[in-house]
Amino acid sequence: MSKFADINIDDGIIRRAAKGDVRAHEIIYRAFATPVYAICLRFTKVPAHAEDLVQETFIEIMRSIGGYRGEAALGSWIRRIAVSKALMFLRSAWTKRGQALADDWHDVTEGNAASHGISSHPDDALDLDAALASLPDVARAVVWLHDVEGFTHKEIAQMMGKTESFSKSQLSRAYRRLRPLLAVDEKTQPDGVAVRGY
Amino acid sequence: MICALTADERSALQHGLRQLTDTMPPREVWDRIREQAEAEGLLQQPTNTRRRNWFTGVGLAAAAALAALMLPPLLNPPAETFPVVPADVPSNTNATELTTLQTLMVQSRQLESDLRSLPSAPSVMRAGTMATISNLEDRIAAIDFQLNDPAVQMSPEDRELFWRERVRLMNSLLQLRYAQAQRAAF
Repeated sequence: MSKFADINIDDGIIRRAAKGDVRAHEIIYRAFATPVYAICLRFTKVPAHAEDLVQETFIEIMRSIGGYRGEAALGSWIRRIAVSKALMFLRSAWTKRGQALADDWHDVTEGNAASHGISSHPDDALDLDAALASLPDVARAVVWLHDVEGFTHKEIAQMMGKTESFSKSQLSRAYRRLRPLLAVDEKTQPDGVAVRGY
Repeated sequence: MICALTADERSALQHGLRQLTDTMPPREVWDRIREQAEAEGLLQQPTNTRRRNWFTGVGLAAAAALAALMLPPLLNPPAETFPVVPADVPSNTNATELTTLQTLMVQSRQLESDLRSLPSAPSVMRAGTMATISNLEDRIAAIDFQLNDPAVQMSPEDRELFWRERVRLMNSLLQLRYAQAQRAAF
C-alpha cells in the first residue's frame, strides 16, 4: 500500500489550508513531504531536481486545495499532483534531448543488474535502490508507480499518455533486469520471500 | 502473466521497494515554498487583524484565560521531549468538567507519560520504522513550535484544532513505539 494512504489529516486543517492558513499548510507539508520527496527522488535521481519538484508540488497544492472536495483521500490527491509533476519533469528532460517520453531501453544495454555494475551476490550490500536507479527513467517510473504506489497499468498509461501495453512491457523488462537481485528463502522469511542485499 | 518474475519474487521486490528508506527533503525547501507562496499571495498572514467586530472582546478574554493556562509552563518549560503540555491541567478527566481543549491537553500528557513508560527505543531498528518515527516526531515538533510561538495568535478554535492533531500524532507514535517494544521483547 502506498505510504500516502497511511497519512490522515484532520478535516479542520484541510479547511484552514483552503483559506490559505500557513500553519495548516505547514502541517500538511510535514505530513506529506517525505512520500512526495520519495517519488520525486525516484523519478529524477538528483536531489536538487527532486527538491524543486517538491516545491512545485506543494505550491500546486496551495493553489488547488480550495477545489479539493474530499471525494478522494487527501493523500491520493496529493500523490496525483506529485506524480504529475514528476512525469512532467521526465517529459521535459526527454524533450530537451529531442525525444518523446517513450521507450528508452536503447540507452541501456539489456542484461541483468550485474552487467551494470550491480552485484547480484546475496551478501553484497548493494541494494534495490541502486538497481532501481540503474533502470531507464520511464521503466523506473513504471516500476515505482505500479509496485509501490499501486497504480494500475491503465492509470499509468493515462498519466504517461501511452497504452497499457507500453506500461506492461516496461514493467516486464524492468523485472527481468531486477530478477537477479531477488531470492526466495523459505527458511528465513515467514512470508517466504527475501530481497538479496537486505 | 506479463512479468518475468514468479509470484514470490514479485512479492519480494514489492516488499523491498516499500522498505527503501525515505527521507524528508532539506529544511530549506519549506522556506522556499513559503517564500514563493507568499510572493504569489497564496497564504494569509498568521495574525488576523481584520476581524474587528463585537466579539473581539470575548475573544480577547478567552485568549487571556488561555494564556493564564498556558503561560506558566511556557515560562518554565520542563526538560522533556514535548514541552508544550501545560503542567496545571488536571491529570485525569474525572477531576472536573473540562473544556475540549483541556481534555485534549490531558490526553496529550497521558500519551507522553505512556510513551515515557515504554522501554527505550532499540539501538538497531528497521530503517522504515525509524523514518516513520522520525517523521511523526518532526510533525509533532512543528505543531509544538506553533503552539509555543508567542508571535502566533491563535483563536481558541485554532488552538483546539492543533491540539487535536497533536493528540492524533502522539497516538500514532505511541502505537508504533509500543509495537516496537513488543517486537523487541520476543
